[in-house]
Amino acid sequence: MTPPLLAIRGLRAAYGKIEALKGVDIEINAGEIVALIGANGAGKSTLMMTIFGKPRARAGRIEFDGDDITGVPTHQIARLRIAQSPEGRRIFPRMSVAENLQMGADVTECSEAERAAVLERVFALFPRLKERINQRGGTLSGGEQQMLAIGRALMSRPRLLMLDEPSLGLAPLIARQIFDAIRTLNRQDGLTVLIVEQNANHALKLAHRGYVMVNGLITLSGTGSELLQRPEIRAAYLEGGRRG
Amino acid sequence: MTASTLEKQPAPRASGAAFILKKATISALVALVLFSLMIGVRTEAGPQGGLIYWTRFGDLAAIVAAVFGGSIVVELLRQWWGPADRVRVVPPVVQNALSLAGRLLAPALLIFTFLVPVIFYDQRYILDLAILVLTYVMLGWGLNVVVGLAGLLDLGYVAFYAVGAYSYALLATNFGLSFWVCLPLAGILAAFWGVLLGFPVLRLRGDYLAIVTLAFGEIIRLVIINWQSLTGGPNGISGIPRPTLFGIPLTPGEDGLAARLGIEFSPTHRIVFLFYLILALALLTNWVTIRLRRLPIGRAWEALREDEVACRALGINTTTTKLTAFATGAMFGGFAGAFFATRQGFISPESFTFQESALVLAIVVLGGMGSQLGVALAALAMIGGFELFRGLDQYRMLVFGIAMVLLMIWRPRGLIGHRAPTVYLERNQAISSDLVKEGHG
Repeated sequence: MTPPLLAIRGLRAAYGKIEALKGVDIEINAGEIVALIGANGAGKSTLMMTIFGKPRARAGRIEFDGDDITGVPTHQIARLRIAQSPEGRRIFPRMSVAENLQMGADVTECSEAERAAVLERVFALFPRLKERINQRGGTLSGGEQQMLAIGRALMSRPRLLMLDEPSLGLAPLIARQIFDAIRTLNRQDGLTVLIVEQNANHALKLAHRGYVMVNGLITLSGTGSELLQRPEIRAAYLEGGRRG
Repeated sequence: MTASTLEKQPAPRASGAAFILKKATISALVALVLFSLMIGVRTEAGPQGGLIYWTRFGDLAAIVAAVFGGSIVVELLRQWWGPADRVRVVPPVVQNALSLAGRLLAPALLIFTFLVPVIFYDQRYILDLAILVLTYVMLGWGLNVVVGLAGLLDLGYVAFYAVGAYSYALLATNFGLSFWVCLPLAGILAAFWGVLLGFPVLRLRGDYLAIVTLAFGEIIRLVIINWQSLTGGPNGISGIPRPTLFGIPLTPGEDGLAARLGIEFSPTHRIVFLFYLILALALLTNWVTIRLRRLPIGRAWEALREDEVACRALGINTTTTKLTAFATGAMFGGFAGAFFATRQGFISPESFTFQESALVLAIVVLGGMGSQLGVALAALAMIGGFELFRGLDQYRMLVFGIAMVLLMIWRPRGLIGHRAPTVYLERNQAISSDLVKEGHG
């Protein structure tokens, strides 16, 4: 069996005295979509940030492709071709769409031809970005900004793409377009994706496997469809606890 | 999508010639009623104590006409250049003319600047003023890297100006080094101090950064005042050597430039030389900044201004990005400082007060953060305007304050608020800043 692309073991992280991650174990195999679901404040975003070295891990180990990256400085993580689309999109509002995309490509060394190829791929996935290529990022709609954030992350030709709440604040139709694009990326390009979501239903349908996080610990894991069937998941994340 | 078509429809509002004329007529009528008694009829006590009066319909007509015309002008201005959140209804002809003028403005200004010593050769005052304006243009462009591009609010920029000036003054007076050797040294020393300031403020932003940089500027000035043995304290340093044209002094002596060229010596030669020197330095600043903006480091500065968290997620080393911004800005400040020292021949701590920092920052903000042309125009308006209104004496600052307030109402992002993108894929199109609110999606 090949080792997982990303392996996290016993990871602990804290903001001051408040421990946000209390020993998290996660594995992501190459070519998989893995969903991480959980309520607000469960530590999902912290886990993503800790992989990027901010906040630093207090204990545990993060391995990427067999190498220990636990102590690697934040700005070097992206050079390992782990890309992140942060929560709330965080595009550069006064810069044009083209510049936003270029920012994603700046960090990793790649030839002009490779860059053009990735750009074509991003435009194929999100034709709207091509239409708006010379507009300022801030003039885009929320959905387009999310497309831009994902496109920007893709520009570094990542081996692992981490998405933090890509459906945040989007209309259901636009959210579905985003999820479709992620599925396409995974099927056609073999991209490995870690997706952090509140929208458990969508995320688990999309993902091969899922993890459920509660109070800084992984409480459940399994394939996407397995988790969708679990009564406690249905009660907690899908029906809004209306039964209880 | 329906949403985008909805956004494009301007809010319906009254406009057009009929509306303007109606408004002007109403204003004129009001003026007629108001002034018919105040101006139209003049009363006075007669020689016998009785009241005599006579009419002044000519004056009345003039005033009503002025109100009518003025009302049209005001309404046109209001519709074309109203406050920033208004929908503009500038006719296409005027719009095209304006955009053409905008494109030609920078080259025209540059050519005019090159010709200033030729046109005003006999007017020493204008040449001195032009040198002063160019010094501030250069300082503005230098600070623009830190404040405009990287978004780091620096209130202590004068510190680097001082470091540059004292570096040249001390190296030249103590070791006899020439200006051309000292110029890069002054830049390097200032950049070094820029990095030194950068380290403690790496984690600060906005107000907190402003306070620390403000303090840094004061520290440098106080050290200069109190380190008497080195800097001469409040007495300053005098007898700073004048610059030479690659070793040829611009003096009346035998080996001076005039004697060598076989022309008659004139003190204006030195002024003209200084003018072209600061012009070259300023253009170097501008050229380097424009080049850097197109490189990853320049893009990283601008991205840092926009969103630091996103920068980290993209793998940008925010530490080196900030430090290079501080160092680059400081280096240009140091160059300007060395020029200042060689021009004046005498420097003292009085030239490096907080007021200078504030002035340069005002130039950058008024010009439009990040806009090279805007900064140059603002420097011209601020420094040139200061001189222009010299006749107004104590009202000068008042006029200035009002002008600044009006500018911030009408153009909150500065004279030139839009930024041109540096990455083009298809057509080139600048998007007006008015369409985007700062920091929001």
